[in-house]
Amino acid sequence: MIALLAAAAGAASLLVGAAGPGLPPADILWQIRLPRALLALLSGAALGASGASLQGLLRNRLADPGLLGFSGCASLGAVLAFYFGLYDANPLALPLAALAGALAGAALLLGFARRAEGTTLILAGVALAALASAAVTLALALAPSPFALAEITVWLLGSLEDRAPMHLLLAGPPIVLGCALLVSARGKLDALALGEPTAASLGVDPRRLARQVAIGVALCVGGATAVAGSVGFVGLIVPNLLRPLLGERPSLLVVPAACAGALLLVLADIAVRLIPTAQELRLGVLTALLGAPVLAWAALRGGRP
Amino acid sequence: MRRLLALALLLTTPAAAAPQRVVSINLCADQFLVTLADPAQIAALSPLATDPALSAVAEQARAFPRVRPSAEAALALDPDLVIAGAWGGREAEAILARRGIAVLRLPLAEDFATIRAQLLQVGAALGQHQRAAGLAEALDRRLAAITPSGGEAGLVWQAAGFTPGRGTLADAVLRAAGRTNAAAFSGYGTVRLEALLNNPPSLLVLPARAQGGGTSLAEALLAHPALRALPVRPIEPAWLACGSFETVRAAEALAR
Repeated sequence: MIALLAAAAGAASLLVGAAGPGLPPADILWQIRLPRALLALLSGAALGASGASLQGLLRNRLADPGLLGFSGCASLGAVLAFYFGLYDANPLALPLAALAGALAGAALLLGFARRAEGTTLILAGVALAALASAAVTLALALAPSPFALAEITVWLLGSLEDRAPMHLLLAGPPIVLGCALLVSARGKLDALALGEPTAASLGVDPRRLARQVAIGVALCVGGATAVAGSVGFVGLIVPNLLRPLLGERPSLLVVPAACAGALLLVLADIAVRLIPTAQELRLGVLTALLGAPVLAWAALRGGRP
Repeated sequence: MRRLLALALLLTTPAAAAPQRVVSINLCADQFLVTLADPAQIAALSPLATDPALSAVAEQARAFPRVRPSAEAALALDPDLVIAGAWGGREAEAILARRGIAVLRLPLAEDFATIRAQLLQVGAALGQHQRAAGLAEALDRRLAAITPSGGEAGLVWQAAGFTPGRGTLADAVLRAAGRTNAAAFSGYGTVRLEALLNNPPSLLVLPARAQGGGTSLAEALLAHPALRALPVRPIEPAWLACGSFETVRAAEALAR
């Protein structure tokens, strides 16, 4: 149902753009709008599935790849690869570096998670996110291109403006692989919800599960961030809005969260094209407008499922 | 007194009175200084003078020292003439003037008449009247020799879709080449990729090289695959970055 809505929104997004409303000439459709719609669907699905899986793994409904710093670390990897020559040598360096950044962020955070939980863990993630955004700013300031620093809004807030078909090849494979890992881990997350000892008695190795989820999230966030920059709050909003409808079990949330994430990001990407600003609005502006109230609401409920 | 003396030096014509330690603190001033001065007259150029994406004299500029565009850095070179650009540096100009150093401020050259006038003006300030008159004459000759193209619209599209409209240097270049500017707004604006493809110009003029030698999303836009179907002409961006003698080469390139 949500998947159908997302597909419909994706199709509708083909009708919106700077060339004017309605179906554009073939080259605009195939070279700009279709890649953009597919990238919005893929990135949204990646962020939605990541949010639901992280919330299940950390047993904390505030968990989100943006808030915890994964997206920031992925942005840092992408910025280093893009502005300092690696991307020119080989475009594959862009998703690989974003993936490496996201993995490093995930490893750091899982390290924290052994010592802290609940709000403390979220605060550690916020610290990581702040560090990553400072490092992104510094890297862009040091980049040789005079335009680099002005592009900071893309890497901190996200944008899908004027992407090309090649970006699908760069982001698609890691996102599909990452989503597959997260979908296959979702059943074990249910067991983890009963506590680590109980999960272990049910035959789930919590450490192995944490690694699987971390790699899945890193693939998803790395792929999405490499082409869209770091779009915050999608992974936070979607599972929290779905829970009243679908219940708390991660196994029931991951796939719908992916579909709803895709729907949310496509709608946000349509909205940034419709809002008449001189420069196209960044995606993260809209997702934060929706996401910050959800964050406050979830925080007031104590952060725990 | 020193200031009066400097002005007197500027206004007198004999070569013996020409300034001997000239500093430029502006990219566009660099273009005139390098073209008109004897190498021995140049004390320093601005830091951008050697960027081939911005400076049409980047190659020659490498032979000279570069100075940060501030009064303090310029003063340290003990100049007898400082050439500044259209904007900024009011404070620097005041400080230099208080120290009795002549400052020549060049407004933005947005058409060939201004370029011609500035060639003569800077030439006079440097005591290089003959060289300046020769270049002004060469500019006239080369502009007159251009076979105008048939009036098709051209669009000069720069990083991030930045586009010069009416009244800009690029507009003057398009007109000198016998074209019209497809950008209908006056001053500078942005033309988005989709809008460009939806209403393609007869000629899309793109910069032939990236600024600073680095990669950016703004410049990656100029290589978007959807542009491959358009008639594209890459030209040296430095010819359009500043109005200078070399700008005539842009008009020649776009007339063809």
